[in-house]
Amino acid sequence: MRRKLLLLVSSMAFLFAIANAQTPPIKGTVKNEKGNPVPAATIKIKGTNTGTQTDDAGNFTLTVAPGRTLSVSAVGYGTSDVKAQDNLQITLKEKSSDLTEVVVTANSIKREQRSLGYSATTIKASELTQGQSPSALTSLSGRVAGLNVTSSTGAPGGSTRVVLRGGSSITGNNQALLVVDGIPYANNDNFGGPNNLSAVNFGNRGNDLNPDDIASVTVLTGPAGAALYGSRASNGALIITTKSGSSGRKAEITFNTQNTFSSVLKIPDFQNEYGIGYYDGVNSDGTLHYNTQDWGDNFSWGAPFTGQVLPWGQTIDGKQLTKPYSALKNNVRDFFSTGFTTANNISISSGNDRSSYYLGLNSLNSNGIYPTDVDTYNRYGVRFNGKANLGNNFYSAVTFNYIHIHSNQIGGGQGGGSALINLYQTPRDIPIDKMGDLNNKYYGYGYTDNSGVYHGDKYGFYNQFAPSPWFLIKNYKNYDDVDRITGGITLGYKPVSWLDVQERVTEDYFTDRRRLLTPKYNFAPADDGTNGNPPAYSSGNIVTSNGGYEEDVYNVGEMNHDLTITAKHDLGNDFTGSLMVGNNVRLNNNNFTQTSTNQSSGLVVPDWYNFGNSNGPVLAKNTRQVQRRVAVYAGLDLSWKQMLYLGATARNDWSSTLPVNANSFFYPSVNAAWIFTELLKGSGIDNILNYGKLRANWSRVGNDAGPYLLNTTYGQTSIAGGFAGGNTIFPFNGVPGLAINNLLGDPTIKPEITTSEEIGMELGFLNNRLSFSANVYKERHKNLIVQSNVAPASGYTFATVNAGVEENKGVELSLRGTPVKTQHFGLELFATYTKNNNKIISLPNHAQIVIGGFNGMAIVAQEGKPLGEFYAVDNQTENGHTVVSSKDGMPVPTTSAVYLGSYQPKWQGSFGGTLSYNNSWSLAFLFTTKQGGVYFSQTKGISDFVGTAAETGGVRDPQIWANSVINTGTATQPVYQPNTTAKYIKQDYFTGILPAGQNIIDGSFVKLSSLELDYQLPANTLGKTPFGRASIGLYGNNLFIWTPKANKYVDPEMNSSGSGNEQGFDFVAQPSVRNYGVNVKVTF
Amino acid sequence: MQLFMTIPINIKRSALFAGLAVLLLGTGCKKFLDVNQDPNNLSNAQPAQQLPTVQAGIGVVVGDDLYPFGNIWSQYFTQSAIASQYKTIDQYLQTNNDFNYMWGHIYQTALVNDQLMIANTIGNPGLIQYQAIGYVLKAYTLQLATDAFGDVPSTEALQGSVNKNPAYDAQQIVYDSIFNYIEKAKSLMNPADPSAPGSDDLIFNGDMASWIAFANTLELRAYLRLSQVDPATAEAGVKALYATNPTFLTADAEMTYTSTGGNQNPFYIKAVSLGKAVNLAASSTVVTQFERNSDPRQWALFEKVKATDDTITDLVQGTYAQNTNKVTSKPSPLVGGDPQNAASALAPVILIGAAESKFLQAEAVARGWVTGSASSLFTAGINASFATDGIPDSAANYISNAPDAVFPASQADQIKAIITQKYYAMCGSQGFEAWTEWRRTGYPTFLVLSAANGGRGVPLRFLYPQSELTGNLKYPGTVPETTPVWWDK
Repeated sequence: MRRKLLLLVSSMAFLFAIANAQTPPIKGTVKNEKGNPVPAATIKIKGTNTGTQTDDAGNFTLTVAPGRTLSVSAVGYGTSDVKAQDNLQITLKEKSSDLTEVVVTANSIKREQRSLGYSATTIKASELTQGQSPSALTSLSGRVAGLNVTSSTGAPGGSTRVVLRGGSSITGNNQALLVVDGIPYANNDNFGGPNNLSAVNFGNRGNDLNPDDIASVTVLTGPAGAALYGSRASNGALIITTKSGSSGRKAEITFNTQNTFSSVLKIPDFQNEYGIGYYDGVNSDGTLHYNTQDWGDNFSWGAPFTGQVLPWGQTIDGKQLTKPYSALKNNVRDFFSTGFTTANNISISSGNDRSSYYLGLNSLNSNGIYPTDVDTYNRYGVRFNGKANLGNNFYSAVTFNYIHIHSNQIGGGQGGGSALINLYQTPRDIPIDKMGDLNNKYYGYGYTDNSGVYHGDKYGFYNQFAPSPWFLIKNYKNYDDVDRITGGITLGYKPVSWLDVQERVTEDYFTDRRRLLTPKYNFAPADDGTNGNPPAYSSGNIVTSNGGYEEDVYNVGEMNHDLTITAKHDLGNDFTGSLMVGNNVRLNNNNFTQTSTNQSSGLVVPDWYNFGNSNGPVLAKNTRQVQRRVAVYAGLDLSWKQMLYLGATARNDWSSTLPVNANSFFYPSVNAAWIFTELLKGSGIDNILNYGKLRANWSRVGNDAGPYLLNTTYGQTSIAGGFAGGNTIFPFNGVPGLAINNLLGDPTIKPEITTSEEIGMELGFLNNRLSFSANVYKERHKNLIVQSNVAPASGYTFATVNAGVEENKGVELSLRGTPVKTQHFGLELFATYTKNNNKIISLPNHAQIVIGGFNGMAIVAQEGKPLGEFYAVDNQTENGHTVVSSKDGMPVPTTSAVYLGSYQPKWQGSFGGTLSYNNSWSLAFLFTTKQGGVYFSQTKGISDFVGTAAETGGVRDPQIWANSVINTGTATQPVYQPNTTAKYIKQDYFTGILPAGQNIIDGSFVKLSSLELDYQLPANTLGKTPFGRASIGLYGNNLFIWTPKANKYVDPEMNSSGSGNEQGFDFVAQPSVRNYGVNVKVTF
Repeated sequence: MQLFMTIPINIKRSALFAGLAVLLLGTGCKKFLDVNQDPNNLSNAQPAQQLPTVQAGIGVVVGDDLYPFGNIWSQYFTQSAIASQYKTIDQYLQTNNDFNYMWGHIYQTALVNDQLMIANTIGNPGLIQYQAIGYVLKAYTLQLATDAFGDVPSTEALQGSVNKNPAYDAQQIVYDSIFNYIEKAKSLMNPADPSAPGSDDLIFNGDMASWIAFANTLELRAYLRLSQVDPATAEAGVKALYATNPTFLTADAEMTYTSTGGNQNPFYIKAVSLGKAVNLAASSTVVTQFERNSDPRQWALFEKVKATDDTITDLVQGTYAQNTNKVTSKPSPLVGGDPQNAASALAPVILIGAAESKFLQAEAVARGWVTGSASSLFTAGINASFATDGIPDSAANYISNAPDAVFPASQADQIKAIITQKYYAMCGSQGFEAWTEWRRTGYPTFLVLSAANGGRGVPLRFLYPQSELTGNLKYPGTVPETTPVWWDK
């Protein structure tokens, strides 16, 4: 790796040393129709690859012989051809849509949008940074039809899942391929912690990208557009292009600062009627009798609030605290503080007609919503992009990006360090938000008494089921350090104008080092018992942990080599054609080392986090994975009269992960586009319908398996005791043990095959004032490589198999219009609609495949259902009436699990727009919605269990379940009668039998995803300042959420499994946040 | 791969494409792609590494998975009032999910590795004692499985890819196979074989004589299990066994543990990972009997709340809700039941106890199937139990004075006395076997309905795990927990 880096850096230095001018350059300015400069416009000498870009003032310099034709284009504008001369004044016509712009497609090939026979949408930087989301992936949400972005927290470093057209796999990756400047960009999901029930969200690597470095993102929704990427194209691709240098008169320096405040978006609705305690009997009048003296409990099932001032908590030094016995409505929300993030970018771009570069430096420093400075995320990055024409028909480009991240993430779920689950379990009268002083003997852990004596083994607050969240966030740490280098070198040779030979070598490498600190402690209640006998706190109510220290180190690298040869030819007057052939070699090397102190015995000395401090043998495990792939591919493009376009690709892959004698697979694609409005030119209709295109494509993409899936292997014996841990680990008293691994291999595994068909239409009306695009598609994925669960009685848990067929069928619509366009005002609106029907068509030899969940609830793939169907026991119903037991009035559970809907939304949409005034003010907004999916909420489960959730309020005395029925027949021949007698007790229901199915709720929502008000300082006020341009903006993202009445809990996008396939899984996941702030951008 | 970068550019396009393809298909490429050998795992294992895995797996099943169910349903323990982990056991409220780990440890740890170990020994005379131990452990584990769940996969189980959906066998068939495996094991066992295992045998350290005694005792246990459903087979089996002049266990067959992290008593490891919460309390069901008999074993098996206490502070079975914050006696470290006492790490997991061996023999005699002195075997059982509990010297006084130590005259009373004494002997250490014998014989007669039963019936079996329900196309349907298993008549 070090050698590769050296190579990169030295070639960079070489390339920029040789840029020298020969003939005097010409200068020019590019403006729009309003006379404003057009930055980043591309000026190219026609028929060559030579060109430059304008700076922020619209200026450029280029060495070119006078009289040659220059082609000038820019994103959002049409293309204009002019003859070269000095002091060129070029005016570009603005387009109200991007229908004919140039897009970057697979393998960094630039193509005109009109020539594509598949769906490809480009999103500009200005749209991406609208709302200033810290994640470039999150900010794609709502911008493109067919794109499903799920952002789990909205905080920097959180997880973002990007799925195009419903995904392609059951147990494998479903996320879109990310390609940054031609470099496939790793987007590993980085969940830490022991399991999904006590997860630590370290985000996903795709969010390492600095949004400010990005120039544009092209979304290739279907596999057709991405077919050249081979195996990974079955999920579609995001082609990300970062900024490049402009070659204006002077170097341009841009400084941009964003200062963002964050607060919790949505927390559960709580009841505010009952406090700590629980019922312990039924009075003679049928009402409940409450125990309110058990301060060591976490139940909020106690007596109704009275407002009386009463003692509470432990008796310490002979005294209890007192407070009014009343609800503290905001005790959970007020626990959180306002997070603050400052992101600062400085970039320099410069160049001349031979070479250009972009250098971007950025930092992001965030202190999240947990109180005190515990949840921090810091990211630093540098990006260098350079291009040079070397003369002799050679050209070159270098891209290099380094990122360092240092963070501490607060654990979630039911993990030892999860503050959140303990907050939700805080009874409604406990002032948890004000109990942060851990030295206060009533709140503290290890406190000092009146006589100055330190009680290091005593705690003053709470119990073994719910320790103080303040203590947890202070002492449990999940540090993460990431260093990532991405780089690539492109060398090209154009011996003749029609031939282009290009070699590109890229590397994406990161190391991710996590340090997980679990404190060692043992606290007994400080209660001295003077308040009663036995004491209010049982002496057995200890809070204890053996402690532990773990280091997980991931080294992940991918190298790609691509050699492509492209030949273009004009075949007669109307025909043009190009043929590209290429070769790809891809190497993946992953290493993972996990080391921890002894999991059963923990640490010897508290607070010393070192393996030398392990109480018992240190546990260490290392995993090394090597994958290699070789491919040849070809692409053919033909066009006729700028009206008919035909494209075809073919690719053959050889993969190391498939059986040696069956490791080759071939797949083709074809696409066609017809600009039918070419026929209408001059007919008058083209004044109304100025652009119309029909397109169609068919493609096939193969995908290989993961490494080492062919055989069943043995590993060191480790017997997991249960969900809570407790492992028997070998060597056992010095005796080594080997056990068969629970995954069965398949030596005959075949590649997965995706077949996709799509037809689409693009229309532009009134000179593109109104534009419309529609796609209809069908994708079939067969021979899916699945880790399917097998019957445990077979001796194994999973088997690698080719199993089943999955289908996505859908419609994608987008509409964009400019209803107002005057000298001063502009209003642009857009909307998207996506409907994807995902279905598991067949799953032979499987009852179902479990892709997630936990005890009592499974997220499964089941024949005939969409992927991600929830499967759980629920309350039995009969014609909409809940069936209850005649004995205790409680709902009767279904006899087995039932299907309760999928996490995939039935449809999603967005509505956004920009209102601009005088080119100096602009107001942009974006609403997004997903409708019809469901999610599982353990936040609901736990707050129901402890009696804090809103639905546990109201009447708690024995009552009849509303509209319930009783089975007066038999189990096999039921007869249902309305229930008029059997009464249930809420506490018994919520703490005893609430089935998991009741925690699966409507996940629909509407969000105000982003809102931004920008003011661009007029050029004349900047005249005497050093600034070229200056703007100030107020923004917000993830600002508001509207959910159906059934969802009184959390943001349904939150997820305890990050960006994996286990979605809609709120196992007390970290809350999502709303962000708002101010940014200032100036250029020098 | 250097070749790709130096391809001349002047050749014709079609030729280039073909050329590339040819290059790639060459042998260099084949070698380049041949990197799919897993460097992280082994493709084979030796019996010496598999045997300890199987034994540790059985230790987890008996010492952890079955521990709370067996000891709570035998009413040695009940859910403590200051925690809640095992409430549902006292509530007789089972779900399929409660048994995923237990089933997994039986099939995916113990049985499958046992199966693979046996397969590894086929055709290798030097490994024949491993094979023998493999068969007897298979019989032992299958009996656990079928006693717990009733009908279970056996003939079609453990075949991996060959059969991912094994069918369930009737319990009678499973018992037939248990006897077959024991016979097979015994036919192979040879104490003189120099290639017997050594320290990799975590139970007997390679002592094949002990394994023969283990196999005989297991066979006796298994035949006696059929005493109610098929007394003729049981009697014939026991008689045939005795015709071989069998040796029986005279010491506890057990897994032993140390304080080393990951090598401790499995229930203790679990309790530590649950935050050392005290979940188990002495049940008044057993404590009342201990007191009635002035049985000193109660002091070995339970801890006093205060040093000055002269009684074990117990809870009536299932009354945790009515005794909020009541501090009760915990099971002692002797049986691994006190998570706050590190000595619990050292508690052994008893697979077949020495006392159990004596009581099984006593029952065989008392039933008149074989000759011998039931009374002296009964007394020997009590002595063995006191020895296991670390108080061998107190046995004599107990045998002279305790009402339940009197060996009665009638056959029915003798069997009741034997099983009841076996029940005392298994307190905290063999709860599952005690509950199973209660299901078979109805003894002891003093078990009560848990106060937390909520109208649900007493469980007589475990539910099949959720993992089978969702993973096995031949899943036979969930059998209610109140349905007795086949031998439970």
